[in-house]
Amino acid sequence: MNVHELPLILFTVLAQMSVGAFVALGVVQVVGRLRYGKAAVDEIADPSLYAIGPVLVLGLMASMLHLGNPFNALNTFRHLDSSWLSREIVFGIAFSGLGFLFAALQFLRWGSPALRQALAALTAVVGLGLVWVMSMVYASLPTVPAWNTWATPAQFFLTTFLLGALAVGAAFMGVIMWRRQGLARRFAWVERLAPVRWLLSLRRPEEPPPEAAAAGDAGRRELVEASLRWVATASILLLGVQLVVIVLQQRDLAADPGMPSASVAAYGTAWFVARLVLLVLGAGLLGLTLYRMVADHRSALLVATVATAAFATVLASEIIGRSLFYDSMARIGM
Amino acid sequence: MSDNLGFYLDQSVCTGCKACQIACKDKHDLPVGVTWRRVVEYTGGTWQQDGDTMVPNVFSYYTSIACNHCEDPICVAVCPTTAMHKREDGTVAVDPDKCVGCRYCEWACPYSAPQYNPELGHMTKCDLCADYRSEGKNPACVEACPSRALDWGPIDELRAKYGTVDAVEPLPDPSITRPHLVITPHRDAQPTGSGTGEIANPTEI
Repeated sequence: MNVHELPLILFTVLAQMSVGAFVALGVVQVVGRLRYGKAAVDEIADPSLYAIGPVLVLGLMASMLHLGNPFNALNTFRHLDSSWLSREIVFGIAFSGLGFLFAALQFLRWGSPALRQALAALTAVVGLGLVWVMSMVYASLPTVPAWNTWATPAQFFLTTFLLGALAVGAAFMGVIMWRRQGLARRFAWVERLAPVRWLLSLRRPEEPPPEAAAAGDAGRRELVEASLRWVATASILLLGVQLVVIVLQQRDLAADPGMPSASVAAYGTAWFVARLVLLVLGAGLLGLTLYRMVADHRSALLVATVATAAFATVLASEIIGRSLFYDSMARIGM
Repeated sequence: MSDNLGFYLDQSVCTGCKACQIACKDKHDLPVGVTWRRVVEYTGGTWQQDGDTMVPNVFSYYTSIACNHCEDPICVAVCPTTAMHKREDGTVAVDPDKCVGCRYCEWACPYSAPQYNPELGHMTKCDLCADYRSEGKNPACVEACPSRALDWGPIDELRAKYGTVDAVEPLPDPSITRPHLVITPHRDAQPTGSGTGEIANPTEI
């Protein structure tokens, strides 16, 4: 593992996961609302939305650790016309700012639903832009052939969607288990704290659901099951795409006569094998198991365990994969 | 860019003694691990049949490189802060008040010119001994070379005097950054991109 670049590994993987989760939640919102109503979707999606914030903040803080002199960090906006790194920082801040604003409006129920939807769509677009710009930081360097390939943006987007989908699956089951265990009651004292009380007092009263069709337990369960089947299917499909991209990328790496041998050697390690095994295990086998368990209406605890295990396994695989990506950094020249 | 300064290296007389490297390190008080001027040894060879005998045909030569103060410096292009900039005299310099020490220029430069100084928390690099030049003196590396293999000056003058070669292994394709560098090639010098040899002293550069 590349411990030296750990701040960048964590920053890129966590930021991509945040974008992917935000987009996946958006899909659940748009598709789920049609069948199950806004209230039911919000009830399950909002807590997951709030979970993205800390993950993203953790990633951004990790990226600061990579700087030699963080006090000069404001200078990093100065070269937007030429440096992809400047653009990455602007997109990173824009995505977190818009995401935070959207989460706040959603929590306080401020602004019309249409306004909030438009804001969410804008946040998702900026987030996808962030992943693109992030990949160009590496793919645009003509002096690092292992990065200067179409596979860099392809893999960054695959990390985004794969981790995003699985994170949402795990988060939904987390919300269900939280409610099951009665944890909301046990943590009720949090709502009595002064700052939290103040925040809640700002909250607008619940608007009546437009269809006046409260989802009820059965509808909620159906929504979560449908989402998890969708997550499992997406993870299996993305695994297939990921494997094709990895094979083509390795072929290009080996076929290029100008490729520094250190770049090729980085992938000739047991870590690469571990990355592939964990990927197939997490996105493939556990994804399939998840699908079957949901289809068979198995117990929530079992489904939650498998959804979390699939997410954790793929997260580990992606972190190792990103570490190998940094290991493969070798310049032409001297 | 009135001067467009650059370096000249006579590969054919360089013995790889590293006096230039040490003179630079001493002059700028560089810590261990920061080496603005580095001497690369490029080595390779094949077997050739001579009658009934296979004879070795080997080569080895040295290339002393600091910063080439490129025409299209990739370090300047990728720098997010504009700390890395081109000065009036054509040299490429770091503004320590702007640099965040993200080391992106270090990833980009194919000559390993920008180097991170952990004590200072920002990037550092060859400034072609700006202080010596202002006193009318030569850069420390040029003065130190016992073979008189190094020279410096406006790149147009260097090219008029020594030619235009700048594409020999292990140097990268010069079209990427257009270095202000002229080389008199060693008799065994391999053209850039031929990949016939390898850098024999990777830990020293």
